[in-house]
Amino acid sequence: MKLRKIMIAMALLLTVSLALFGAGTGEKPAAAKADEPLTGKVSLYASITSIEPIMADFKAKVGVDAEYTRLSTARFISTVLTEYQANKLMADVVQGPLPILEILKEQGVLANYQAKAAEGYPDWAKRDGIYLFGIEYVGLIYNTDLVSKEEAPKRYEDLADPKWKGHIVMANPASHATTISWLVGLKENVFATEAEWMAFVRGLAANEPMFVASFGPTPAPIASGEKKIGISMPKYIVTNAPAPLDYAKLSQPMLGSPRAIAITSDAPNPRAAEAFLEYWLSDGAMGILANDVGEYVLTPGVYPPIPGISETEVIPIRELSDEEIQKWGAEFEKIFALK
Amino acid sequence: MERRHSRLTYTLITIVSLLTVAPVVMLVIGSFSKNLRAFGDFTLSKYIAVYTDPMLVETAGNTLVFVLGSAAFATVLALFLAYLNNRTNIPFKFLFKVLSVVPMMIPHVLFAVSWALLLNPSNGILNMWLQQLFGLAKAPFNIYSMPGMIMVEGLLDLPIAYLIISPAMASFDVSLEESSRVFKGGPMRTLFKITLPVLRPAILAAFILCIVRVLASFAVPSVLGMPGRIYVLSTYIYRTVTMSLIADYGKAAAIGMSILVLSITLIYIYRYYTRFSDKYVTISSRGFKPAVVELRKGKIPLFIMLIIISFILIVLPVLVLLYTSFIPYIMVPNGQAFAAMSLANWRTVISDPISIKSLGNSLFLGIVGATVGSFLSILVAYVIVKVKTKASGFLESISFLSFSFPGIVIGIGFMWFFVRTPLYATIWALFFGYIATYLPYGIRPMTSAFVQIHGSLEESSLVCGASFATTMRRVVIPLLVPGIVSGWVLMATMFFRELSLSVVLSRPGTEVLAVQILRFSEDGQWGKLSALGLIMIFFSTLMVVGVNLIGNRFKPGEAKDRKPA
Amino acid sequence: MQITITGLKKHYHSEGKTIRALDGVNLTIEANKIFTLLGPSGCGKTTLLRCIVGLETPDEGEIKIGDTIVWSNEKNIYVPTEKRELGMVFQTYAIWPHMNVFNNVAYPLQNMKMPKDEIAKRVAKTLKFVQLEGFENRPATRLSGGQQQRVALARALVAEPKVILFDEPLSNLDAKLREETRKELRMFLGELGITAVYVTHDRVEALALSDMIGVMRAGNIVELGTPKKIYFDADHQFVADFIGRANLIPAKVTEETSEHSLVTTAIGSVVCQKRSFDPSDELTLCIRPEFLDFKPASDAINRITGVVEQMVFVGEVYESEIRVGTELIFAKLDPQTTLKEGDHVTFSMKPEHCLLVSR
Repeated sequence: MKLRKIMIAMALLLTVSLALFGAGTGEKPAAAKADEPLTGKVSLYASITSIEPIMADFKAKVGVDAEYTRLSTARFISTVLTEYQANKLMADVVQGPLPILEILKEQGVLANYQAKAAEGYPDWAKRDGIYLFGIEYVGLIYNTDLVSKEEAPKRYEDLADPKWKGHIVMANPASHATTISWLVGLKENVFATEAEWMAFVRGLAANEPMFVASFGPTPAPIASGEKKIGISMPKYIVTNAPAPLDYAKLSQPMLGSPRAIAITSDAPNPRAAEAFLEYWLSDGAMGILANDVGEYVLTPGVYPPIPGISETEVIPIRELSDEEIQKWGAEFEKIFALK
Repeated sequence: MERRHSRLTYTLITIVSLLTVAPVVMLVIGSFSKNLRAFGDFTLSKYIAVYTDPMLVETAGNTLVFVLGSAAFATVLALFLAYLNNRTNIPFKFLFKVLSVVPMMIPHVLFAVSWALLLNPSNGILNMWLQQLFGLAKAPFNIYSMPGMIMVEGLLDLPIAYLIISPAMASFDVSLEESSRVFKGGPMRTLFKITLPVLRPAILAAFILCIVRVLASFAVPSVLGMPGRIYVLSTYIYRTVTMSLIADYGKAAAIGMSILVLSITLIYIYRYYTRFSDKYVTISSRGFKPAVVELRKGKIPLFIMLIIISFILIVLPVLVLLYTSFIPYIMVPNGQAFAAMSLANWRTVISDPISIKSLGNSLFLGIVGATVGSFLSILVAYVIVKVKTKASGFLESISFLSFSFPGIVIGIGFMWFFVRTPLYATIWALFFGYIATYLPYGIRPMTSAFVQIHGSLEESSLVCGASFATTMRRVVIPLLVPGIVSGWVLMATMFFRELSLSVVLSRPGTEVLAVQILRFSEDGQWGKLSALGLIMIFFSTLMVVGVNLIGNRFKPGEAKDRKPA
Repeated sequence: MQITITGLKKHYHSEGKTIRALDGVNLTIEANKIFTLLGPSGCGKTTLLRCIVGLETPDEGEIKIGDTIVWSNEKNIYVPTEKRELGMVFQTYAIWPHMNVFNNVAYPLQNMKMPKDEIAKRVAKTLKFVQLEGFENRPATRLSGGQQQRVALARALVAEPKVILFDEPLSNLDAKLREETRKELRMFLGELGITAVYVTHDRVEALALSDMIGVMRAGNIVELGTPKKIYFDADHQFVADFIGRANLIPAKVTEETSEHSLVTTAIGSVVCQKRSFDPSDELTLCIRPEFLDFKPASDAINRITGVVEQMVFVGEVYESEIRVGTELIFAKLDPQTTLKEGDHVTFSMKPEHCLLVSR
């Protein structure tokens, strides 16, 4: 008797759920017409942070509201694909790391839009609708109160010096994909041999760095003096000003993952999306990005307000596949595990 | 009576399962699906991948210690505080009300960070101070350790335990204790042989709710555990998700399943041990107001202890927040830091339209959400306690479904579910998601309060010709007020600072405070984060004070003792 | 209002066992009488009461209050408790601790949506009736047990229900107060002249209060009758034993006349009042201690001699045990008696006091 009632309740529930699943497949929005007036708003899904000044400037210049939804790298694909498959993708423009946008492109989420503003960009920055505009550069950030310019590392290898033991903070190299890619990037772009690189990694591990979840929490312990130096992002020197932070000027290039942007194929506001992308890639927007947010951008001659950055070479690293990330993550897990 | 009960039971099962089963079903499907979304070809590979990982064993061990330690710490501390507050003549009782809710209102990440600032082994403020004071060579405490994690997590979960135990303690039938004293039971013996066993349902409820919450907790393990390289299940899941650029939530869901099974087992254990709850009925018409134990000699030391706990729990974190909100970046307090203080962070936050918008949204979700949630919880708690059938047991289990999943995972479940409904990307997705996930926060304090209301109080109302609704409104709910206030406070403060679901479901226009705070923390802007955190604490306090004032008006006994006009 | 109960069954299942709380009860409770359900704990009396009120749902059968069927399994009728228009006094009184006396008593009237001034009048009248005038604003938690009991009664009476039910309402009072309250209750109910159903395990209460008593055992009504009938003239050993102190001696009929039966027992042959029994029934001789005559005429029928084994002085009498053969006879001796333990004693029993009951 009781069991039967539970079954009825569950059946009812199932029916409702199925009805809802059915509701998921609807009509696709009509394609953009070029002669439509530019109205409404534009919605951006982005992994980059602190871009409010750009959104405000866009509204001021173009007259269209720009909404910004922050999606962390870990949530990016699942959110966009889930919405896309339910026909509810609200983003007109998406911004994220290049490999993520490439996966989205494979799934048909992205449009192949030819941006006029990108004409001056190098060819490698234009990939069938995906535009690279900046590099999420990673550097060695130190506390200027505790470490003098002379003491600061001159080469990556210097970080393996035992004098830094117990004074380093970094994102967990066993789980933080960007840090894993960065370490592997050093092997492929900076160190002459794999043995030298491995010596560096082991030396770094021997210095017992403190691990945090991602780059976000790295500047605080350096600024407060809890740690002297960290593997972090130079843009924090700008966003945390006037914290006593500087980046170590190395003889080797700085590395970082390319940042990319693209228009979605079913953009709800296609014309506004195009306008937004054009604006984003323009010198004006990139200037704001560099100056206010401290980002490294590809626009020639535009640099973040960090002394010396214009002389530093910043190169994009190869994106690792998932298998590689997991393999190296496990590898670093072993090297860094101090038992 | 029974018919009405069974109708109510099945209606509630339908409502609650719509809320909680749907996202979990999505996660189950997702964990068996080859693709990255909810639906795809069947595969077992995700289960195999996560459950054959050798790290899982160590993680499980850590999790066990962390979870049991924190839950026990929170429960024991809550018992101690609840006893002092309700049963002794300790002065300044209002401190307890404040004490019990403040950790509910502080964003957990912030709380953990301020402890790192105080007790990190390199330059933790307290550590350095102790080193100077005693001339120690090494820092005496390391917050990046298992005991450190347990202490901070335990403090954060204290309100949950306190708000469940305190109402039960408040309506305790004194004659039970008095009779023990008569039969030569000393105060200690009475406490351990009578008071605690009689309060068992509330204590167990608090302990189990804490366990389930700690299992899902992420802030403390990530802020304090990761630097100490101590992984627990929630950080392990995070690691699984972030190990690749293409985050695989199916795998996370696969790990989540074992936490789910564990949680449901715990609920059944709880039900088993409280199945004769009639034994614990203590409120009847007589002896409503508990007597107060004279503390005599113990009064001063206990009071000092209370002051210390309050200092640690309230003053310290709030001071750290206040301090941080005035400085441009994290600095150790010194002359330089005080010179650099300004209102810049406050100005930025107050003039930020998104912060203002998110404050409005969070207030709406907190107040309206908790009210609707409390109403649903009252009915569910009623069925759980008063209708002891298999169906009511089923209802109790499903009410815990979403709650027992780690936040990172359940958020995705809700996204997979809501995207199929017109609610997606509206404030209502958050609204229903919150209620579904945190339903136990409302149900738990109310069940432990319900257990103590004698059935005849309700039956006599029916005999007097009152409908079920009238009985609820005029008899049951007024008697439940302490439980309802607890449940409302737990829900409202939780909704007000909710992060796990919000970060997945919030969109432009439906921003909420915690997401805004996360944004600041991801940018390393601790100053703005602290300013917004303090604004959050301020409004939480307003809500808590407000509901307590309303609750007091319905308080039984004294308040009704009005002189005839 | 008359209450008619037909074939009422209620079974509980617990840990694999079935408990027959009500095992096919048939009962008619006459209108405007005080009816008591008497029985040991676990006999089903409270379950029966709760079924009448509607707090519990029977498995089978029918309950009719007046002309209204309030429960019928067959006809699928269930009138919920709040629509049955009854009054009830609970064992725990169930006074709502968060309300004052006025609100407790006014509650049923408020549910009837009566105008406020009418409610005030009726409450005042009822409180006066139960002698609680001026207690309107007293919080319920600040009442003594007896006062709470009267509030509970006032609440049950205020809506002037046709039927009022009592679930062991005096069991929480101390002995003296219980006696007083019992008297009051008798008076109140007598004045009101409404149908009252009273559940108790206290035989004195049952005898003192009731117009009719139904004795229950194991989910069945064993016997129904006026207090006198139950006390003096019970048909069953269980009833005779339960209702008052009695000497119960197994007996066998050896001879019958038109008026009397002669039975043999362990204390010898006894002449009893004749009663008809089923031939298969096993019989017991039942003699209440107060009917033993210790100053028997020399020609008295049923003269029996025994030895005083024990004497306990309890004030109004000596409670004593007298050995007759293998049996111990319980007797009440005159407190002024000169008898002492070990003395031989002779007593007699009138045949009309020697009751044959079925075992």
